[in-house]
Amino acid sequence: MSAAQAMPGSNPAALARWRQARRRGHMAVLAVTSLLLALSVWAVQGSVIPGTDWRRMGGFAEVVTGFGRFLPPDPTLLPTLFEPAVQTILIAIIGTLLGAVMSLPVAVLGAANLRPLGMPGYLLARGLMTMSRSIHEIVWALIFVSAVGLGAFAGILALACRSVGFVSKLLAEAIERIDMRPVEAMKAQGARPLDMVRHAIVPQLLPIGLGTLIFEWDINVNRAAVLGLVGAGGLGLTFHNQLIASNYAGVTTVLLTILAIILVGEAISVRLRRRLV
Amino acid sequence: MSSTNTLMVLQKRRRRSLLRFLLLLALGAGLWLTLQYLNVRLERFATLFDRLGTLLATRYYPPDFEYIMRPRFLQSVLETIHMALLATLAGLLLAIPLAWLAAFNASPLPGVGKSAARVFITGARAIHEMIWAIVFIMVLGFGVLPGVLALTLGCIGFAGKLFVEEIESIDDAPVEAMRAAGAGPLAVFFFGVLPQVRTAFIGIGIYTWDVVFRSATVVGFFGAGGMGWYLRRTADQLQSDRVAAIILLIAALVVVSEVISHHARTALEGRTGQRVLAR
Repeated sequence: MSAAQAMPGSNPAALARWRQARRRGHMAVLAVTSLLLALSVWAVQGSVIPGTDWRRMGGFAEVVTGFGRFLPPDPTLLPTLFEPAVQTILIAIIGTLLGAVMSLPVAVLGAANLRPLGMPGYLLARGLMTMSRSIHEIVWALIFVSAVGLGAFAGILALACRSVGFVSKLLAEAIERIDMRPVEAMKAQGARPLDMVRHAIVPQLLPIGLGTLIFEWDINVNRAAVLGLVGAGGLGLTFHNQLIASNYAGVTTVLLTILAIILVGEAISVRLRRRLV
Repeated sequence: MSSTNTLMVLQKRRRRSLLRFLLLLALGAGLWLTLQYLNVRLERFATLFDRLGTLLATRYYPPDFEYIMRPRFLQSVLETIHMALLATLAGLLLAIPLAWLAAFNASPLPGVGKSAARVFITGARAIHEMIWAIVFIMVLGFGVLPGVLALTLGCIGFAGKLFVEEIESIDDAPVEAMRAAGAGPLAVFFFGVLPQVRTAFIGIGIYTWDVVFRSATVVGFFGAGGMGWYLRRTADQLQSDRVAAIILLIAALVVVSEVISHHARTALEGRTGQRVLAR
């Protein structure tokens, strides 16, 4: 670092340039801030003010008492939450596993360096990845509930389809980054293709793949809890029942249970991923 | 000597393959039991593609594009964009101070404040924004405001965690130097922490917009404003051709928003020469 850069004051030309850059920076910040402010005003006036039921909401005191009804949580509900909680966790696990199985062909097709089916296969795989991510899990669940009926199966399929996008994208990136030297070394030794995949490619992909899966499972527990709202069972269904019964304290209990499951799941997933890396 | 060695290796290998076999067997049995417990009928899986195929071909196709061109529907699309915009801005503005409080190396209140901020961010993350939306609807009634609040919480949960990780990986030397020189916590944040994470924060902010917008398209499903409500209504009335059109529109909007934010992030990377987002 030169002295002029460190201390602009020692060089008049540098000082002028520094001041100009600083002013330009301030102008940019000001421009962005006023743009965002204008957008917010537009959004509030265009949607929030006309689109909210202000009369139903009432005054500040009513809102506070409204939130107050959620407290304290209802502990008598806890014993009945065990089974739905187990269901939610299992739906998340099976959905993630199925998603992983479905991700493998998509990732291979969508890896830019392989393209086993050429450009059409590549585009198809990339399209599937985008579709999978841009369609919300609720919508996936709706589609599958109409195909296989209410129940955990629809939830599993929805989670699997929702997971394919993220998992196969990361897997495809991992395939694109594969170190080809071990593969070539085995080829030079006369290894069979299957052995090459088994001993030179799989070991490179396994840590990334497993890490992604654990991460995705973590998110899927969160999603599984919401799928019950559209008929896929688990904690979402319990939440829905408490909601219909207007049992606000019970709603809080369900929320706290979901929170506890997610916290434990996150702790497990962090530990597992740390062990992998 | 060498023959006993070979024997030992062989024995070890056999034992390991036996162990692996047993593990696979246990996994398979666990999977089967789980599917039984969840009442999943695998025989339905065989007919799934068939049924899904006919369903898509006869009920979802052709999509009713006329429906999504109606002014009232387009108004709800605009409402969705408004909601995502407000929630992203409010969420990011709240997430930055929360992340500052929650980061172990820069927190101005390392005791209670840090724990409270951590609990807040984790809680916002752990509960799905759809569930937040329902909770807010229960108190505030149907409308845009509960949707914006739910999305804001989702945004805080998502961006807050990434912000905390970013702050926790900064170079501590400038922070310590400023502290040693007697700078207050605000000065430390603005001149010691923020310059190091500014680029990453902008990148995360753009990425968060994508995530929030994606949620905003469906958060109205239970009455929290935006186009999600139309999705609910058409799905409940089994107007699958309209559902198909809405789903395709959502996918198109998400892709457009992702392309824009991808360009914004690449431009940011080009200007600053920094990798904006690892993921």
